[in-house]
Amino acid sequence: MSACDNCRSMIPLFLDDELRGSEAEHFREHIASCADCRELLAEEQALSQLLRRTRPLYQASEVLRARVSDILSSEVNADLRAPERLRRRVLRILTPGLRSVTQPAFHWKQLVAVGLATVLAFLFLPPVTQRVRANAFVVAAAETHRSYLEGNLPMELHTATPADVTAWFAGKVPFHFRLPDSQQHVNGQQIYRLVGSRLVNFRGTYAALTTYEMQEQKISLLVVSDRSAGAEGGEEVQSGRLTFHNHTVGNFKVITWSTHGLTYALVSSLPGSARQSCLVCHQNMADHLRFSHDQ
Amino acid sequence: MVFLDAFKSTGESTAGIEHIDGLYGYALVLTRNRTDAEDLVQETYVRAIRAMGRLRDDRNVKGWLFTILRNVWLNELRGRRNAPETLDVEAGEMTVSLVDNNMKSPHDTYVGHLERHHVREAIQRLPEEAREVILLREWEELSYQEIATVLDCPVGTVMSRLARARAKLRELLCSLFQNSYPCGEGTEATE
Repeated sequence: MSACDNCRSMIPLFLDDELRGSEAEHFREHIASCADCRELLAEEQALSQLLRRTRPLYQASEVLRARVSDILSSEVNADLRAPERLRRRVLRILTPGLRSVTQPAFHWKQLVAVGLATVLAFLFLPPVTQRVRANAFVVAAAETHRSYLEGNLPMELHTATPADVTAWFAGKVPFHFRLPDSQQHVNGQQIYRLVGSRLVNFRGTYAALTTYEMQEQKISLLVVSDRSAGAEGGEEVQSGRLTFHNHTVGNFKVITWSTHGLTYALVSSLPGSARQSCLVCHQNMADHLRFSHDQ
Repeated sequence: MVFLDAFKSTGESTAGIEHIDGLYGYALVLTRNRTDAEDLVQETYVRAIRAMGRLRDDRNVKGWLFTILRNVWLNELRGRRNAPETLDVEAGEMTVSLVDNNMKSPHDTYVGHLERHHVREAIQRLPEEAREVILLREWEELSYQEIATVLDCPVGTVMSRLARARAKLRELLCSLFQNSYPCGEGTEATE
């Protein structure tokens, strides 16, 4: 191998700071004396500089940053909280023991209590994965709605009949989904209109997307199995046995809830509280009183 | 405990996520899908927290996170082979916000935008093996040894993949930039 061949094979190593000792010295000496190799080095440096000027090539979204911050902070808090509580309990138990050296510092009942408290503390720590999935579902529902508004998610089924939606999803989604055949009219006036449905992807599985229109507003309903995601977080609104979770993602309101093995996310830009948003569709249903006044 | 210790010592909610842009870029390179990339980054942090007890003090945290991300993705791929084909919420969408904070004049902003656009396009046209090795080196500045650990391959393989990736990238960039980029012969890729 000629000196030039040897030098050229080392150009990447030199640029990547992987050349050491005598090899680096020989390389520099050759470059100083060889115009052709110098030119090649300059070309490689230009490529490297171009790539580095584009740093960071991609930037994580604020939503992702917030999700990861939540994970980190909740885990750190959990990590700090349990031992601190435990320390306080142990301190309380130890204090009488210090007052009277004739008494044993630990009674067996106290040890059992401390052990039990520790086990319970671990049991009741919120499972991170569950919370992550619930958050991911909220974000996915908002992103799906955004794509739909931007015209990137055309409906695969166009219908105004809930029964058609139920029939269309049968066998397509890995869960049983029935769209209630609720009335869309109040006093003869149509308040919202079913537009259609399509399949979308959520964490590698199918989710059911159904869209509505109301007062020129577009509303989407994303449904997944509760094995894929549950409903958690946000402002909670209790209604009967159901708990609605009201989230805000950008300009969108996302209401999530779980029932009968499914988790739902209703996304809109409708004004008003979560309860009022529910009332939009429920105002003519038997359960409308649940949503008609604040608790 | 380096990962969490670093986080605790600062007492700020932003600490511990300093590698998020790099991880997200790597996730995009692997998945080529924004939603999957975000899920992958999130899952990486969850796994990292679970596994931090096993992280040795002398271990490079950044390399460790990239290794976790790649392993999570490989597991995900294995699971997907048996799963039905799914439609993608954001099929074909690869746009993410541009970072032009360091650019000063409108001309610089435009040039920076154009460069990043072409570089992203060229990167996405590379084979996966080349995409990940060049991203880990040029953007994340991992050493050959660290890349070898992430990719679970010998250092020699990293070097040959990197040489091939650079040669291909140069070719793609020359075609994208046309005459505005110096298109020399470059160093030859070696096996």
